[in-house]
Amino acid sequence: MKRFAIASMLFVVAVAAAGFLSPRAASAEDIKLVGVITQIDIAGPDATTATATLKDNKTGDLVTVIVTDELTLDKFKDHRIVTGDEIRLKYEVKDGKNTSKYFRKTAGC
Amino acid sequence: MKRYLIVLSLLVVAGTAAQAKEHPGKAYIEKNGYRGPATCEAQGCHPGTAKAFLSTVHWKHASPVANVENLDPGKEYGMKNRIYTMCNGNDIVNNLKEIPPNPKTGKTKFTGCNACHPGNHISDAGSTGKDAENAVDCLVCHSSAYDFRLRKPYKDAAGRVVMGQDRTPKAALSVGKPGVKNCMVCHEAAGGGVLIKRGFAFVRETDVHAAKGMVCVDCHGAKDHKIPTGYDPNNWANDGVRVACSDCHGEKPHADEDTNRHVARIACQTCHIPRTGGATAKDFTRWTQGEDGFFEPTTLRMEANETTPVYAWYNKTVRNEPHFIGPKGSRGDKQSRIYPFKLYEGKAYFDKKTGMLLSMDFAPPMATGDTLAGVASAAKTLGIKEYDPVPGWQTVYFGSSHLVTKEKALSCANCHAPNGALNFKSLGYTDEEIRKLTSAALYFDKMAAKQKENW
Ligand code: HEC
Ligand code: HEC
Ligand code: HEC
Ligand code: HEC
Ligand code: HEC
Ligand code: HEC
Ligand code: HEC
Repeated sequence: MKRFAIASMLFVVAVAAAGFLSPRAASAEDIKLVGVITQIDIAGPDATTATATLKDNKTGDLVTVIVTDELTLDKFKDHRIVTGDEIRLKYEVKDGKNTSKYFRKTAGC
Repeated sequence: MKRYLIVLSLLVVAGTAAQAKEHPGKAYIEKNGYRGPATCEAQGCHPGTAKAFLSTVHWKHASPVANVENLDPGKEYGMKNRIYTMCNGNDIVNNLKEIPPNPKTGKTKFTGCNACHPGNHISDAGSTGKDAENAVDCLVCHSSAYDFRLRKPYKDAAGRVVMGQDRTPKAALSVGKPGVKNCMVCHEAAGGGVLIKRGFAFVRETDVHAAKGMVCVDCHGAKDHKIPTGYDPNNWANDGVRVACSDCHGEKPHADEDTNRHVARIACQTCHIPRTGGATAKDFTRWTQGEDGFFEPTTLRMEANETTPVYAWYNKTVRNEPHFIGPKGSRGDKQSRIYPFKLYEGKAYFDKKTGMLLSMDFAPPMATGDTLAGVASAAKTLGIKEYDPVPGWQTVYFGSSHLVTKEKALSCANCHAPNGALNFKSLGYTDEEIRKLTSAALYFDKMAAKQKENW
């Protein structure tokens, strides 16, 4: 009985957390969206992290993610990626923070 | 083999050397600014470089092509004029321009294949003369401080579409040997977006050479801007110079003689590039509308290393038909080796009258999704008056020469097993031979010994 109570308590917490962190997917999964960059903040040429804010095309919501992968950071630094670009984004919530796992321009043929 | 030692020794000093050396001409550029190739050629430095550049594939987007069937031997081929189904157009029908406004949003954008050309679009792929020489964007390949906000298409005062360049002194003062990034400005997004064509991510995690700090030009080193290439059945244009794995590693790179023996019939890539990536299929007859209102060809994307290659005999000559572009070769032909390919299928319109693949101007479908309007616009540009468009598929084999691995290289049991990497039957082996080739007898003693060694 005690086991059961703990398990169900954990379950309630898990559901709440999942609902809180991500309206679209379970917390363990990546969240995906396509959106336009409204802001990029990067400390300078030697920065190893940046934040980018995107406006989700579907919902209109603003989503801010932390970007740490070298290739994308470099594209912020030399402006291969700029505000106004449309991005296909995949991120996860790590320690309460939106962390980018995939950040690419949608540009076509 | 000599090349290998040179690259190896350079790798050891790389980093320090690159940073310590300052490019001569600094004072000149600081005083006079940067005016394009003229500045590079000032004071007797790099004379004639821009003129020579105009005869390369990177400027012409075309060259004579000797190893592909069904071509006109008097003509040059390349992105300028080819038509296939990875990108169903070319620089001519899909010239860089502003597309019609999207009916939903009223917005427009610039698009065109020749956006990936180091000119200014006024001097375009294949142009010649003084204006063309002055238009070469040397810094896109040579500067490590290029500001890509300046490399954008825009309309000039006369209404012409111009491709911008960064010609600031800052960019010019940071010139050097091209880095991976310089090449990837265009190569990363070939085929319609990041990693679409080849899933070719040149990073530590995906390529042993990148992990060792090598860059593109360590292998694609060029003289007079003739950049060596290989024999990908779908990259025809070439500067007449080639690069191969064996240039550096020789034909017997392994301590293990059993592996070396395979090199005669099996390309290095087959064992060392066990996966490929990028798009596996596209539909140009039905485009998908994005959230921004614009349309794109419907594309099945794959990441680097997400796709299993197909294996085929290849003698470096290419079968070229409306519904198939790929390797020629056979087991019986001693020039042929087994190579890995990415199999790609593209759906587009073919002309029922001639059976030939039609091309498409992307501007109309990008704005409205009307793909037949794109075919009509391209036909008009090419002077084709009568055609009858019917949807059909084309199969394309892409070569696979990057994403090199040592750890995941195919070994004995990966191939010599009933359900192994190779389809021995389709490669021309008889049932009797296949029974032998799929038996553990071929490698049992060897693997058993190795197993003992490793434990
Ligand atoms: C401005 C865009 C651009 C840049 C920058 C660029 N390329 Fe290319 N490259 C192209 C295009 C477009 C083609 C295909 C042309 C064709 O086949 O008609 C090409 C073709 C090639 C080829 C095959 C044809 C040949 O010339 O052998 C190789 C190899 C190549 N590039 C290597 C490189 C390397 C290495 C770099 C960096 C030093 C680089 N490219 C930089 C656009 C670019
Ligand atoms: C982002 C830069 C870029 C754009 C834009 C681009 N290409 Fe290319 N294209 C390349 C590069 C780089 C290559 C050669 C390397 C390769 O095949 O990976 C190439 C090669 C080709 C080839 C093979 C050429 C040959 O020598 O056989 C064709 C055909 C082609 N492109 C068609 C197109 C068409 C059609 C468009 C426009 C709808 C287009 N490309 C837009 C970069 C680009
Ligand atoms: C498409 C990319 C590209 C463009 C554009 C380009 N280069 Fe290069 N350049 C290269 C490559 C690749 C090498 C060979 C690097 C190596 O082998 O280490 C090279 C080498 C050089 C060298 C070394 C000596 C030599 O000739 O081999 C000089 C000097 C040079 N380039 C100047 C220029 C100038 C000036 C321009 C503009 C007119 C220019 N480059 C445009 C890619 C490019
Ligand atoms: C370790 C050596 C090596 C490095 C590093 C390398 N390449 Fe290659 N590349 C090759 C070889 C070898 C081939 C041709 C093999 C063949 O077809 O037989 C090739 C082929 C190509 C081709 C022709 C199309 C194809 O994929 O077969 C292009 C374009 C190209 N490389 C561009 C690049 C660019 C851009 C970079 C850097 C991001 C790069 N390469 C880095 C060895 C290298
Ligand atoms: C320009 C010369 C050059 C070319 C071309 C080249 N390589 Fe290499 N390769 C090197 C160098 C240098 C190293 C690093 C060796 C080291 O540091 O031990 C290397 C490393 C490797 C390794 C890993 C070796 C190890 O012990 O970790 C493999 C596997 C390999 N190459 C395969 C290939 C294949 C396959 C090709 C063709 C697609 C190729 N190479 C083309 C120069 C080259
Ligand atoms: C039949 C499969 C096969 C073929 C073909 C093949 N290799 Fe290898 N290669 C391997 C395997 C497996 C290893 C890893 C050996 C190990 O880990 O002991 C290896 C290792 C290597 C190494 C590292 C050196 C070493 O002994 O560890 C280099 C470099 C290399 N290969 C280059 C090449 C080149 C270049 C070619 C073409 C000339 C080639 N290989 C053809 C399977 C192959
Ligand atoms: C990429 C797949 C591949 C790998 C990996 C591979 N082989 Fe093979 N092997 C073949 C093919 C294909 C042939 C037939 C070649 C021919 O037609 O001459 C062959 C032939 C042989 C033969 C000759 C068989 C005969 O009856 O003629 C032997 C022995 C052999 N392999 C042993 C090995 C051993 C041992 C290893 C591991 C070190 C190995 N193979 C790795 C594909 C492979």
